[in-house]
Amino acid sequence: MSASSPDGPSPLRKLAWTVGAVLIAVLILFPVVWMGLMMIKPTDAMFARPTVWLFTPTLEHFDYVVERGFHVYLLTSLVLGAVSTLLVVIIGTPAAYAFARFEMRFRDDLFLFILATRMAPPVCLVIPYYLIFAKLGLLDTFLGLTLAYMTFNLSFYIWVLRSFCRDLPVELEEAAMLEGWSRLAVFRRVVFPLLRNGIIATSVLCFIFAWNEFLFAFMLGGKNVHTLPVAIPTLITAQGVRWGEMAVVGMVALTPVMLAVFLLQRHIVRGLTMGAVKG
Amino acid sequence: MAAADGTVDDAAVPAGQPAKAGPAWWYPYALIAPAMITFVIISLVPFIYTIFISFHEMKFARLGDFAGFDNYTALLTDSRFWNSMKIAGIFVAIAVPLEFMLGLLGALLLNRPLYGRSILVPFLFIPSMMAPIVVGLLWKIMLAGSWGLLSTNIIEPLGLIGDSSIFASPNLALYALIFVDVWQWTPFMMLAFYAGLQALPVNPYRAAAVDGASPLQSFIRLTLPMLAPLLVVIGLLRLIDAFKVFDSIFVLTGGGPGTSTEMPSVLAYKMTFEFWNLGEASALAVIVWLIFFAFCNVFYQLAKRKLNAF
Repeated sequence: MSASSPDGPSPLRKLAWTVGAVLIAVLILFPVVWMGLMMIKPTDAMFARPTVWLFTPTLEHFDYVVERGFHVYLLTSLVLGAVSTLLVVIIGTPAAYAFARFEMRFRDDLFLFILATRMAPPVCLVIPYYLIFAKLGLLDTFLGLTLAYMTFNLSFYIWVLRSFCRDLPVELEEAAMLEGWSRLAVFRRVVFPLLRNGIIATSVLCFIFAWNEFLFAFMLGGKNVHTLPVAIPTLITAQGVRWGEMAVVGMVALTPVMLAVFLLQRHIVRGLTMGAVKG
Repeated sequence: MAAADGTVDDAAVPAGQPAKAGPAWWYPYALIAPAMITFVIISLVPFIYTIFISFHEMKFARLGDFAGFDNYTALLTDSRFWNSMKIAGIFVAIAVPLEFMLGLLGALLLNRPLYGRSILVPFLFIPSMMAPIVVGLLWKIMLAGSWGLLSTNIIEPLGLIGDSSIFASPNLALYALIFVDVWQWTPFMMLAFYAGLQALPVNPYRAAAVDGASPLQSFIRLTLPMLAPLLVVIGLLRLIDAFKVFDSIFVLTGGGPGTSTEMPSVLAYKMTFEFWNLGEASALAVIVWLIFFAFCNVFYQLAKRKLNAF
């Protein structure tokens, strides 16, 4: 729906609304820009009172971050995000399709159980995980964290991809089956191509969630598996807080998020509402 | 969506083509089996284990004797538990309605004729997609004591808390955290409600315009009722999420000063990894889990019935 009159809104009013909306967006995003500036701001300019707006840029914060080996944490985050997302796609895609298409006993109950897995506060899971992982020697391993990440991502993926599956017309599959195609061929050659965008959108969201995750990585990780979000608080040292360095790491952590936001656009609404609202 | 509801049944018992198009009875179960086995391992086993621990005496991470409901009684008589529930209540009761109202206003603004809306929209998604830990970092910088941009130029001149950070103030830290949550989630509410507005039919508005209804009248009589189910479902989802905020609080206040921002998640964390009181922490986890399960169920039923979503 739109409030436009038949002859369209006047360009002047349209411009006024646009200016208002842009101003609000700028106001909302200003802290991000401010943190971006902190990356290249000399330390004494940060603490200056009154606030300094103009300064000579410096790269000292980047040097420190590289020196301290933060690129290793970056790599860990990337690998962990990619591997756990890939596993989720492999295990979750058939399940999402089955939940959307077929009648099963206890289907709604199973589905609700999956939702509950996603909704539970991670801190509730971290307690049993910590004890179980300590016994099995899974603390500070990629396998352990990958398993932990699947609690929120596999459930998320199945829920959201199911809503994409529901949008597909079942007639195409029925027609293909009447042609004598096997179930597997129908899935591979009819369902999968139509579902591809949904799979990409949902798995990018999964990657972002894994990338952003803090509590599991903080408690179940360690020296070997040290992700970028966990590295941020380590810059609060006994000698003081390394603000510029934190800004650098924060902006690096933000980069994939910014890319995803432009890539996914309206799919994000569907994702963050667990498929309840089609963007 | 009613048609899509039907398709589920059609696929199971296809009319006219019983043997050929219908899947073998085990086919759907085979498709969900890997996922369900994974869930048993990663979700059901830890949950049952938590219940098991909550009925035992725990000496640090070592399992002691069976303790009956001792951990639960200890928790329910612990003033810190009720304090955390109270703080969560204040947090949710202020943050969620604020996000809701501002989000609705923002959605109405987005729904006006705008230039370059498709460029503007992705930017608005950034706060909700950010790592909560980075959100915490952003506001740690903006509101740092004495030199933070907002501290120096806005809060200090007000003369309320001197030049210390607002997160160090026992009275104001919780409201600062609420502000951060509102900052993070209002843009998302805007976009979700905007998606809802986009899906509304045009004809009722044409009819209302012919009848000479004012914009406010058509908003109250048409937009709100048609949008109501979506508003409720999104509001409930936000409520569930707001209750479990952890990362940003952890980096901004760590639950302090004192226990003034100690939400249940933060308390559960401290009980586990600071006090090593795992029995009581597990009891807390079980209780929180049950509350969440109840909320989930309501969300599911509402979204299914009112939005025909699932």
